[in-house]
Amino acid sequence: MTIISFEFLLFVLAVVLVYYIVPKKKRWIVLLAGSFVFYWLNSKWLVFVLLGTSMTTYLFGLLLQRQNEKNKAVLQSNKELSKEEKKRLKEKQKKKNRRILAAGILLVLGALLFLKYFNFFGDNLNALFSAAGTGWTIPYLKLLLPLGISFYTLQAIAYLVDIYHGKVQADRNPAKFLLFMSFFPQIIQGPIPRHGHLADQLYEGHAFDYRRLCFGAQLMLWGFIKKLVIAERLAIPVNYLFENYRNYSGPIVFFAVALYGLQVYADFSGGMDIARGVAQMLGIELALNFKQPYYSTSIEDFWRRWHITMGSWMKDYVFYPLSLSKAFTNLSRKSRKILGQFVGKRLPAFLAMFIAYFCVGFWHGANWKCIAYGVWNGCFIMSGILLEGVYQKSREICGINESAVTWRLFRMLRTFVIVSFGRFFSRAADLPTALDMFGRTFKHWRDITFITNGTLLKLGLNNANWIVLSLFVIVLLYVDSRHEKGISFREVFARQPLLFRWAIYIAAILLVLIFGIYGPEYNVANFVYEQF
Amino acid sequence: MREQLLALLEEIRPDVEFEKEKKLIDDSILDSFDIISIVQEMNDTFDIEIDVEELVPANFNTIEAMIELIEKLQAEG
Repeated sequence: MTIISFEFLLFVLAVVLVYYIVPKKKRWIVLLAGSFVFYWLNSKWLVFVLLGTSMTTYLFGLLLQRQNEKNKAVLQSNKELSKEEKKRLKEKQKKKNRRILAAGILLVLGALLFLKYFNFFGDNLNALFSAAGTGWTIPYLKLLLPLGISFYTLQAIAYLVDIYHGKVQADRNPAKFLLFMSFFPQIIQGPIPRHGHLADQLYEGHAFDYRRLCFGAQLMLWGFIKKLVIAERLAIPVNYLFENYRNYSGPIVFFAVALYGLQVYADFSGGMDIARGVAQMLGIELALNFKQPYYSTSIEDFWRRWHITMGSWMKDYVFYPLSLSKAFTNLSRKSRKILGQFVGKRLPAFLAMFIAYFCVGFWHGANWKCIAYGVWNGCFIMSGILLEGVYQKSREICGINESAVTWRLFRMLRTFVIVSFGRFFSRAADLPTALDMFGRTFKHWRDITFITNGTLLKLGLNNANWIVLSLFVIVLLYVDSRHEKGISFREVFARQPLLFRWAIYIAAILLVLIFGIYGPEYNVANFVYEQF
Repeated sequence: MREQLLALLEEIRPDVEFEKEKKLIDDSILDSFDIISIVQEMNDTFDIEIDVEELVPANFNTIEAMIELIEKLQAEG
């Protein structure tokens, strides 16, 4: 049961109905039951992997919590200790807590590493063994990847680290914690929640709110338009061009990757809108995962707007801890002596950032092209920071007005081009293909007549479909531009007369039914991020 | 302490009016790289050790919050 199926709509309707019928205190049980039915229908026995990860996280959460409380009590009873003694005691306590945290993370992460990355490491080690002539081989294992494992593993790690830091309290009730880990709208592809933001919203029963219900339904509908009308339509020329890119000149190869960028945006953000819409109908606010990424003015800005919950996870649980770790602080001190103040100060943060973006890439897929995708983005961010002084001077010399609209547009275009080139790595079949496409983009730029010479009509979409696609993409970017100005369409819409609102609802549903790409002859593709 | 802190902040981000801004983190005025640079400088200048758990917006949104954090860590030793 995918979230864009008719069955899913019926399922959501049933959950919403039952949720508001049962007493408030029991409403979380409806969510838990709904989440496990949903997971079972999608993944059958793989539900036990989710259960295993959840229970391991739950137990280690309790262990950490107990240790935190014990540490506090010991400190309280040793008030008379000197500053130095207290410091030593705290260090000792921290060491113990760190061991528990490390064991918990290893177990939780171990499941993901084994199921998602075993064959990647196996293949690469086999290549090394063969080159060394050892004759050793690591067998290829047919492993099934449980739905949402890449997302809920990060969620579990964040939970454990937050307890370790004393930011959240561990859940005492295992059933409630299971709900936190498995909440059905977000289990497939996020957003990656933080316990402090989501858990209480799930556990407390929400009162029925007609306005919120309507807002949720509207968001879902918008998500369906993005996924079925835009993303699925874009997938047709994108798939064709990525299969047959060798037959085309540079501009078309770039056109393919630009279309793919739009496809992923409509696909992923559409899925997020459906997830957030379902949650809103139940009175729950999921974290925002997209904030008009096409309006980014730098790569750093892009990662603050694109897949926000993953970016902030990497920042909080990889970049900051690494940058402030003892090893990195020592590295900073040593490198300052050897390489000077400027480089020495920045080196540890650069290294931490490189590792964080490497992880971003590796999280996206167990292959080298995804690693290249992460590294590509990381390198641009690092170069931006490193060369900021040079850029600033160049702007001053050229007399650029940094608040001018044209300058902002230029920066947006520049970001779009860099992001698009990076997407060769995430979409192409493998790393050599990505590099080949990358290189071909720069060839035969005299041939830019593809827009008018009929080439577009041979990519799987006819004239009418290109017009429909163009119109919807314009609407998508227009909606984003309004959001960028802080205007909420749903607020404006809520102030309109009832008759007008229902006319728009019906029109939007008809748009999905008429222009959506689905049906018995067409297999709607899985969400791009569902496969992670 | 205030002057010392202000000097180090202005060295890292000369374009920001630290005395006026009240939402340095919430409004994304400081990015993660700035924060790491600020933490390193604060550690060295005030002889403290800012741990990763202190990296919450409430501790870095204003210059007053940063002073409060420094004082707290100095008191804890």
